[in-house]
This record gives sequence, structure tokens and C-alpha cells, in this order.
Amino acid sequence: MIFDNIMLATSELMSISTMLLMIVGVVAGLIAGAIPGFTIAMAVVLVLPFTFGMTAVQGLATMIGVYVGGLSGGLMSGILTGIPGTPSSVATTFDGFPMARGGRPGLALGIGVWASFFGGVISAIVLVLVAPQLARIGQEFQPWDYFALMAFALTVTASLAGDNMVKGLIAGLIGLLVATVGEDAVVGVPRFNFGSDAVQQGFAFLPVLIGLFAFTRLLSDVQDTKKAQGNLGAHSTDSVRIEHMKAAGAVLSRWGNLIRSSLIGVFTGVLPAAGSSISNILAYDQAKKYSKEPEKFGTGSIDGIVAPESANNATAGGALIMMMALGIPGDIVTAVMLGALLIHDVVPSPTFIAEQPTIAYAIFIAFFLANFMMLAMQSLTLRGFVAVTRVRMYMLAAVILFYCALGVFALNNVQFDMWTLFWFGVGGFIMRSLGFPIVPVILGVVLGNIAENSLAQVIAISTDPTMFLIRPWSLFFIILGLFSSFFHVYQKNRAIKRWTLGFIPAMCLFLSIPVFMMEGLVRPVLGIGLGLFGLYLIVQRVRAGWKLPEAEPVMEVGDL
Amino acid sequence: MNRLNRDTIVAVILLLLVGFFAYSSFAIKTPVFERLAPGQMGPGFWPRIILTGLGIMGLIYLFQSIVSPPPPGEKRGGLIGWYRHYKNPIWCFAVFAAFLTIIPVLGMLISGLIFVFALMTMLGPKDGPAFRRHVWTTLGTVGGMWFIFACLLEVQLPKGQLTGTFDEWLLVNVCGIVSMIGEMFADAGPSCSTLSARV
Repeated sequence: MIFDNIMLATSELMSISTMLLMIVGVVAGLIAGAIPGFTIAMAVVLVLPFTFGMTAVQGLATMIGVYVGGLSGGLMSGILTGIPGTPSSVATTFDGFPMARGGRPGLALGIGVWASFFGGVISAIVLVLVAPQLARIGQEFQPWDYFALMAFALTVTASLAGDNMVKGLIAGLIGLLVATVGEDAVVGVPRFNFGSDAVQQGFAFLPVLIGLFAFTRLLSDVQDTKKAQGNLGAHSTDSVRIEHMKAAGAVLSRWGNLIRSSLIGVFTGVLPAAGSSISNILAYDQAKKYSKEPEKFGTGSIDGIVAPESANNATAGGALIMMMALGIPGDIVTAVMLGALLIHDVVPSPTFIAEQPTIAYAIFIAFFLANFMMLAMQSLTLRGFVAVTRVRMYMLAAVILFYCALGVFALNNVQFDMWTLFWFGVGGFIMRSLGFPIVPVILGVVLGNIAENSLAQVIAISTDPTMFLIRPWSLFFIILGLFSSFFHVYQKNRAIKRWTLGFIPAMCLFLSIPVFMMEGLVRPVLGIGLGLFGLYLIVQRVRAGWKLPEAEPVMEVGDL
Repeated sequence: MNRLNRDTIVAVILLLLVGFFAYSSFAIKTPVFERLAPGQMGPGFWPRIILTGLGIMGLIYLFQSIVSPPPPGEKRGGLIGWYRHYKNPIWCFAVFAAFLTIIPVLGMLISGLIFVFALMTMLGPKDGPAFRRHVWTTLGTVGGMWFIFACLLEVQLPKGQLTGTFDEWLLVNVCGIVSMIGEMFADAGPSCSTLSARV
């Protein structure tokens, strides 16, 4: 039965016209993703009218091409200019840009491309195999769980600030406060608009993002006149070429990070509204925490590129399965795709895969193929984009600033968005100059409305705060959030203070409680396993006399 | 206890802003006709939660800044030293703000040309070859981007009060050629604008 469906879907997809449309979609996505201010969602929306004349399979295949291309295209501008083309490649800039500036743009881009490819392929395989289970987990989430997840995500970003955790938390809270500006979602009352009609609608996310990133990054680069007048990739302009073999080898040799980040991406994609803009940062954070060389993060670490790029491409798979299995969009792009399905009289619902197997399997196969196409097409488009590194920084800065303004305007055709870009640019630059990290602000803006809506639902159902501790997923995220917020203290004191020996066992033991509380048989068994593992670690350390290991390097989480 | 350092000033400003927003949050009122159902969250509740957190963090930040040494990067060069350090970013902001201000008067294209050229000239070398390079780069990049957005993506870019006729003329002539080429291929299917209308 499954084989028949695969064969039917393949025959629908494998026409020359569909393949060409997919290639065009991938190239369009790559270009759109590479341009700061031109989001994947915008590209997919622009493609939508062209899909009316196509069959459902052709239309969806083209849109998936744009989606996958866009997710990978963001790395080009992120690595070469330091400005993420899309929010999904924000974390890629942390190490991709320093590596490119350090004279290895070809390797940085190659690592990004191959990590994207493997992330996409891994997510495609995982989704085909365990899609129903993943969808079931996402379905279990209640408002308490969502709110706890948001709190966890914010502590993660605060922990990214390392020693400046207070500044990180302040930045995250400022982001949340920015998201409250405009009409509230419950009763539509304007907040903090101070009489301005333009502000009453709130700030669009993209101008805020580009303002905070583009201005701060570009202006930091042109602050020193001598540096500004130099080439963007001064050390690499003589022989820029994408080191595919070396990059593929480097990515595969970090298979642990690759698989972990891809799974983070898939899991984040399954959660409604938690898209690749969150997964890339979460994956980066985890990669940094588990790295043997966390101090190299932010200076051009290979792991720092592998993690976000594999995660953001893997997120697409998770978002797609939510749309297909439950009719819930995982992100804005899948919401547009959902609209495309409705145009073709296909209603996504829990019975979608059973009732429309050809379309469902075609989506899986198209997603799988799009990753191969992305690999081939990005290699070509990258060659052109690498030429950007030959440009002088000040010239690129001037052109990009104009382009950002143009892209931001094109989003809603509103001039106020350009002023939003400007003011958040000023604010971001001041914050960065004062040592505040920018990433928590961004995450705060992204999560603000979701967190508020979840809290509104929580209060509407019950005002009992103990519900956060009774619900297994909520408790799971709270415990994870607490341990995550102290993780940098643990890393800093590891091999120095004896209490750190108990950190991992305690985390396993505490996390085993909510996992044990979960429904079904598998997860309680996993919970018992996790608890036993924690106990085993304690027994092992007690037997060793609770002594610190010798010659273990002291690791410190660097500031971002 | 340390002397007044940069972080202390920032913490105080942050707390003042938190106080201002907290005060403003009490002006957020649910309309009389929009009665909240039992258990429904008021519009000012969530901002106040955030502001409470921000206030607590602001106090911790203030305390930290008082008891710990000033940041290592903190320099005291006076107003002139500060200006020298941030000269380029300040001018970038000023030129960008000017660009946004003149858009309604000169339109996106002319304002963009002026902005990019002015910024390049300000930040880059001021010799003859650089000047020529700036002119050609500005024309190529701004013109190219205008063409993509205005003609290919059909984005209605702002027209200037003074240059409206010129903007219109450009749109008709430059984008008209693109439309003509597009219509040549129209036999294959409905045009982009037709499809947009159907949306």
C-alpha cells in the first residue's frame, strides 16, 4: 500500500515540467533567502498566484522548492555579509561570518550548504518514519506547556549571554515588551502607541529584525574608517571557491552535532508557531553547550555553522508534517501552503494522508528531492554570491542599507516600516555598544505574542498556577529551563567545584519525573531509564569518592 | 562601592523607563462595551508582568554595577572622544534619517540614489577614481534594485511630490518594456497581474 502510494506520487512528480518548476522554485528561494528583508514567506506568497494554473502536486512541489531554497539561501548573506537573509539563519552568522572574514568564506559556505542538505535529508527520513508519533506529541501540548516552552526558550537565549545573564534577561524582556506594542490579541485595545495611529498596529517583525541586526552589524563594521574601506573578504579574494569535499567531510565528522541539531529542528518544526527562527538558535545553543571547545563559538567554529543550518532545514520537515497530519501550520510558510491546498479543494486534516495519499507522499518526496536540488543549485548560485566578498565594506554597507529599506517597504508597502527599521537600528546599536546581547531581544519579539496568547488561554481555563507543575510537558520545560539557565555556571565551574559533579545526574533525575508522568508506555519507560541513568551516575561518582577529574579543561561560555 | 560608571547610569535610565511604561500601562483600559469574561486576561496584565520582571532585573543590574568594577572597555574621553569613536555610525544614522525624510518629496529612486552615493562618499575615499566608482556603483545597484522591485515584483514604490511625473514616466517606459515582453509570453497562460487579480 505504502509502496503503491510512493509509486503514484513519484510518477506525478517525475515529469519534466514539475522538475523544472521545482528547480525554478529552489533557485527563487535561494535568491529570496539570500536577500535581507526578503523573507521565505514573502517568496512563497509571491509564488502562490503562479500555482493556480498548476496541479496540486506541481504547485506544492514548487512551493516546497521555494521553502527549502529559502531556508538554505539565508546562509549566503548571513555568512558573507553578517546579515541573516532570513530569521532562520540568525545563528549561522555567529560563526559563519567570522569564518568568512577570517579568510575561509568558501569553507564556511560549503559547511552551511552541506549541513543544510544533511539536515533536510535527516528530517525527511525521520518524518517519514516517525511522523505520527511526532505529531501526537505536538498535539498533547496545552497552553501551560506552550507557556513553559516560551519561558524555556527565553532562558536559553539568556544563557547565550554567558556571564552577562542579567543583561541577557533584560534584553529578552525588552523584546517581549516590544511585542506588546500595538493592539492586544484578546480585546484589540491599543497599548503603548501614545496616540500614534501607525504604532497602533504594532511593529512588524521584519523591520525590527533587520533594524536590530542590519544596522548594528553594518555600523559596527564601518565604525573604523580603515576597516570600512577594506574588502569584505580581504584575506580570501584571491582564490574563493567552495570547498565541497572538505566541507562535507567536516560536517559528517561532526555527526553527533548534525543529528542532534536536525532532531531539534524537526521537533521545533512540529510545534505550531515555533519555526526555524527558533530552532536555529536552540540548536546553536545546544551545540555550544555540548562542545568541547565552547570558547571557539563566535569566532568561526565549524560546529557553530553545522548546528543552525542543519536545524533550520530540518524544521521545514516538522512544519510540513503538522500541516499534513493535523492541518495546523507549523509556521507562516506552511500556513501559505495550507492556503494553496485549499485552493485545490484539498482540506488538510488528520485524515489527509489516508484520503489524499498521492499528494501526501508527493509532498514527502518533493521535500526529499528539493534538498538535493538545493545542494546542486546553491553550489551554482554561491559562486556568484561569493563575488560579494570582493566588494569594499563601506560600499556594501551603503547598498545593503538601501536594500534593507526597500525590502522592508515591499513587505507591507508602508513607509512607517522603514522608520521602524531605523529606530530599531539605533536602539540595537546602542544596546550592543552597552554590552547587551541582541539575540534575546529578537527571540522576545518572536515569542511575545505566542506567550501572551498562551497565558490568556491558561488564565481562561484555570487560574491555578500549580497546573504548570502538574502537566508533564510544562514541568519538563520548566525543569529544562532551570537547568539551562544554570548551565553556564556549571560549565564555568566544571572540574573546579565539586557540586558540578552532581549537575548532570540531578538533571537526569529531575527530568525523569515529567517524562515518567507522560501518557502511554514508551515515555514512562524512558522516564524510568533516565532516572536510573541519573542514579547510575551518582553511584559511579560516589564510588570514585566524589572527586574532580584531573586535567579537564575549564570551559567558559563566551559572550555573544 | 564604585564611582558612578556607565552601567549604573544605564541601569538608572532603564528603571526610569520601566517606571514610565508601568505608569502608561495603567492607561490601557478595556472599553466599556467590551466587558471581560470571567477569567479573561486584561490587555494591561501581560505588559505589567514583563515590566515587573524588567524592574527586578533592572534593580539587580543596578546593584551589580555599584558593587562590581566598571566595565573594562569603559573609556573617558569626553564628548569629543565619544564623537570620534562613533563618528561613522552617527553619520550613517543621520544620512539614513535624511533619506527617509526626503522619500515623500523625491521618491524612492532619486532618494535612494542620493542616499547610497552620499553614504559611499562619506565613508569611502574622496579621490577621483573612488568618486567615479561610487557614481557607477550607485547607478547600477540602486537602479537594478528599483527595476526588480518596481517592474518585476510590481511593488508600488513611493513616488515623490517633486519627481512624481518622472517616476511615472520611468514606470511607464522601463516597466512597460518588461510588460510587453511578458505579454509576448502570455499565450502560454494567464499573466501575473491577471492571476494577482484572481487572488
